[in-house]
Amino acid sequence: MYHSPIKGSREDLRVDGRGCEDYRCVEVETDVVSNTSGSARVKLGHTDILVGVKAEMGTPKLEKPNEGYLEFFVDCSASATPEFEGRGGDDLGTEIANTLYRIFNKSSIDLESLCISPREHCWALYVDVLLLECGGNLFDAISIAVKAALFNTRIPRVRVLEDEEGSKDIELSDDPYDCIQLSVENVPCIVTLCKIGYRHVVDATLQEEACSLASLLVSVTSKGVVTCMRKVGKGSLDPESIFEMLETGKRVGKVLHASLQSILHKEESLGPKRQKVGFLG
Amino acid sequence: MPGDHRRIRGPEESQPQLYAAGEGEAPAPRDPARLRPVYARAGLLSQAKGSAYLEAGGPKVLCAESGPRRAEGGERGGGSVGAGCEAPAALSGRLLCDFRRAPFSGRGRDAPPGGGEERELARALQESLEPVGRLGRYPRAQLEVSALLLGDGGSALAAPLTAAPLALADTGVETYDLVVGCSLSRAPAPAPAWLLEPTLLEEERAAAGLTVALMPVLKQVAGLLGSGEGGPTESWAEAMRLGFEGCQRLYPVLQQCSVQAAHRRGAAAPL
Repeated sequence: MYHSPIKGSREDLRVDGRGCEDYRCVEVETDVVSNTSGSARVKLGHTDILVGVKAEMGTPKLEKPNEGYLEFFVDCSASATPEFEGRGGDDLGTEIANTLYRIFNKSSIDLESLCISPREHCWALYVDVLLLECGGNLFDAISIAVKAALFNTRIPRVRVLEDEEGSKDIELSDDPYDCIQLSVENVPCIVTLCKIGYRHVVDATLQEEACSLASLLVSVTSKGVVTCMRKVGKGSLDPESIFEMLETGKRVGKVLHASLQSILHKEESLGPKRQKVGFLG
Repeated sequence: MPGDHRRIRGPEESQPQLYAAGEGEAPAPRDPARLRPVYARAGLLSQAKGSAYLEAGGPKVLCAESGPRRAEGGERGGGSVGAGCEAPAALSGRLLCDFRRAPFSGRGRDAPPGGGEERELARALQESLEPVGRLGRYPRAQLEVSALLLGDGGSALAAPLTAAPLALADTGVETYDLVVGCSLSRAPAPAPAWLLEPTLLEEERAAAGLTVALMPVLKQVAGLLGSGEGGPTESWAEAMRLGFEGCQRLYPVLQQCSVQAAHRRGAAAPL
């Protein structure tokens, strides 16, 4: 039997039985890498993403002396798909990193809490994204993983001591568990809506992405505020479709945030004794 | 000037003195839907197959297009989202876009070319041009479009989005329509209103920005890029409608420019 993604999407029935607004089963696990300040691994169908966050001391940027900053690096490893061999994955990596910079704005993370002493020291969070396997819908999975990793990030508490000569010394707290936890309430997640035939679908597989000529990437916060919008793909979109896709993106985004928040809190409440699955599960 | 230590020995980081000056300036209130006067001319470079120059108030952009020429490289598909089963590259032409800012285009001296922002804007330009060109008619061919921003006066992406299809049409490549780009910005609270074609000052203070690229005759959106604190979806939708209307109003100027260029080419051709 031949299944057509285009005909199916008209009747709200996709090849794998999902509706147009349903996500595949998402598996999220945090604290998978021990050398980082925070990490998370997300499996969305066949898409596998690993994100590590490292907090390092840096100098604040010239135009924002009271804030810390985030830097995103995306690495498309050759194991994800053969096209990423050598420099092949660089373009996609840069595109994803640029999108991540765009979706994070002033209200996503409280950057002022990352400042240690204005103009001199601040925390710089280096977010490294590693694409382990590519199974469609990369942007959504990456944004979920980044949010989970930032939730898991623990930044050591430091104090600035000033002695008589005026020179400053930074003192790290003795207790290794005395950390600042970031609030990720306003961190957005990306929802990619692919236009297939006359309708649009959320969380497209590789097969569905191949049928889609144009997609709309919407970045939504848990309150339904849109922080970024981008049209992706070789085709064009009708203005009315864009308005519809925006509404769907907001609706789906809010549900996604609610489920993610509840899962992350549940995992954290299990405490350090929880069973870690890691890479063998 | 970050990075360029081979040519110039200087400090690692520097900033222009304009940072301190002009802090108290507020942008003058104006009609939110006003468009700046546009000057467009196609077919001005002798060495490029097709070219266009566009000046829209502040931003000045020069676009050149070369090709179609034989595509290089093997069957490797491009870096589109979710690199997966794409149609073989040989079946349709490829469009390569390059976006550069001249070092003197902005207020401070910019970083050397090839930075992340330029690649992102080149990608946005490519995604907006692909729907408009009939690339299926040029198999195994490659079209190279390069945009050079000579002056940034706000709306840096919208001007190349408008000039590049003019250059493409000037080459004689078949296109479905022209593309018109328009940019908007949302002023910060207390009066969050969307302004069409922001000036540099309005853009710097903006809470959110949006650039739309519309094919005016087909009424299809070829490109869309927006980010910032734009508020709820209704606010973004209102901004898009304002942008589309602005694009429709700009279209007759570009149509006339294209026709004039065709007349000039026709008159210059030997009989």
